[in-house]
Amino acid sequence: MRITKKSSIALSLLIACALLLGACSPGATPPPATEVPTTAPATEAPPAKVTGSLTLLDWSGYELPEFWSDFAAKYPDVKVDFSFMSESADSYAKMKSGFAADLVHPCSNFWKIMVDENMLQPLDTSKLSNWKDINPALAKQGEFNGKQYWAPWDWGFESILVRKDLVTTVPTSWADLWNPEYKGHIALYDSGETAHIIGALALGFPDPWNTTPEQDEQIKQKLLELMPNVLTIWSSQTELDQLIASGDVWVAASAWNASYVGLLNQKVDVVYIDPKEGRGGYLCGFAIPATSKNYDLALAMIDAYLAQSSQAKLANDYGYGISNTAAIPLVNPDTVKLLSLEDQNIISRTVFYKYLTPEQRDSWTNTWSEVKTSK
Amino acid sequence: MENRGRFASLIGPPALYLFLIFLLPMGLMFAYSFRAGISGAAHDTFTLANYQSFLANSNFHRLLWRSATIAFTIALISTLLAYPLAYYLVFQAGANKMTLMTLLIIPTWTSYLLRIFSWKLILGSSGVLNSLLLATGIIETASPILIYSRGAVIVTLVYVWVPFVALPIFAALERIDKNLLEAAADLGCQPWEAFLHVTLPLSLPGVLAGFFFALIPTLGEFVTPLLVGGASGSMYGNLIQDQFMRALNWPMGSVMSLAMLVIVLLLVFILSRLGNLSELAGF
Repeated sequence: MRITKKSSIALSLLIACALLLGACSPGATPPPATEVPTTAPATEAPPAKVTGSLTLLDWSGYELPEFWSDFAAKYPDVKVDFSFMSESADSYAKMKSGFAADLVHPCSNFWKIMVDENMLQPLDTSKLSNWKDINPALAKQGEFNGKQYWAPWDWGFESILVRKDLVTTVPTSWADLWNPEYKGHIALYDSGETAHIIGALALGFPDPWNTTPEQDEQIKQKLLELMPNVLTIWSSQTELDQLIASGDVWVAASAWNASYVGLLNQKVDVVYIDPKEGRGGYLCGFAIPATSKNYDLALAMIDAYLAQSSQAKLANDYGYGISNTAAIPLVNPDTVKLLSLEDQNIISRTVFYKYLTPEQRDSWTNTWSEVKTSK
Repeated sequence: MENRGRFASLIGPPALYLFLIFLLPMGLMFAYSFRAGISGAAHDTFTLANYQSFLANSNFHRLLWRSATIAFTIALISTLLAYPLAYYLVFQAGANKMTLMTLLIIPTWTSYLLRIFSWKLILGSSGVLNSLLLATGIIETASPILIYSRGAVIVTLVYVWVPFVALPIFAALERIDKNLLEAAADLGCQPWEAFLHVTLPLSLPGVLAGFFFALIPTLGEFVTPLLVGGASGSMYGNLIQDQFMRALNWPMGSVMSLAMLVIVLLLVFILSRLGNLSELAGF
């Protein structure tokens, strides 16, 4: 007996639909194919007449038109495409595998390696109208070999975020994460780099980027001892916010201040710690890949992102630190205070991410792989 | 002659597609596995160091074994659950067959991620289940139930796979000539005997296909462990992702992926001895 024709067609359709929609695991999505912009705009054409396209390899959330309204107003006919990166390493990997972007937006731990491997074009800051207002300390981090390669745009803290209503002792140091009270209620960020820094700070090693092999071994043992306290490993802010709001997680290590602001807005009783060893910190920004044929447009786009209105939106809506000092008066004063945007007492003690050597990256990732799978 | 042309035109496009997006990348990965790195001065020199450090890393082996056990458990449970389902659809559902089949598939039409998040909403500390248990006084403090554990990974993936495993079993059962069952009854077989000696052996190819459907992708799974596995649910796939994405050690990631491929091929080989695989393919 054969399967009836009608039901066999229906069945194959069902299977096809199910496989297409269901079996596709998120995260395995290949980068969208993007057209490589071929024609560079003629320089003499007035801006409004310039056509072509610009491709940004950016974090999701920054594609909103409000972040680059100056560019859209100046170049209405230029098509702007966004492709999203899941983390800094992702943008590096995509560029390495031949993805042609006109702007990339990784964080500072990947800045030096991209410069060293000749993956970027230096920025002509004289063409950036907002450059004069950029915080010089942040700009300095984007300077290599005497040239400005990176335009800093967003920064923030990575510190301990605590559900005050669910714990009896509020931690004051990175070493307090080991407190047995938090057993099964800590969330760690999924990064070998971050884990290494936490371990080093908890053990009292002053410079996490300058540790001996013996100290590395101590850090590994220390992290292994932390695992009983760990409920889960988080990898995106949305995920962490949900974990904290639901009460599953009481203490989140390396949470971003954006989470703090977001959860306060949701009326969740959280407190953002200023550990005695200092907070962690990250800085991200834009650069133009060496392969880009749209240098001037890309530069104009950076300028649009650095504009006061764009930067104020970033702080007000997303709770991130910003690089344009002239934008700070436009930020809600409460937000400035919450984010400690101007609190030099905190900022000067902050442990910002640094460049790591390939050997460190390898060894720290392997340690972390072993630690996080030890349970 | 005409037949051959038809064969080529049918098999050509999918073969080309497979070559371009499957075999070619596989080959590239194989080539990468002998490289020293993806950047730096001597990154493209030939080396066997990656294989050596893979063989020396007991953590990789432990996780590979863990993933294999998890995947095997998931495939087994899914198959055990899917069989009665498919059996009911074919032999008992009658006119409602296609409606019920559609109902079975419908959940897979929404995003997988969305379904996982709704699971978290049900099972989390402030979830529906906890609220219910708190309200009825069964528990006193809310805590996450069933999630953030290895068990959660198994439960979630079984839930994901059951419909997919049911499909090939359904197709195999549909193919069984109902006259055979009548004949068995005429010759004095009890229904359970007829099932054991007629239905089950004839549906075995579908069962094996369903089993593999669940087993093979689960071995390399890394998204579900990330979302519901918690600190103890990581699988081998997560380590591969770490090598590619975080350590930027593509050569090592390639070695690890190839090791998994070898295991899968080995499994397919062993199990193809058990059942006649060519029958699955419908030749």
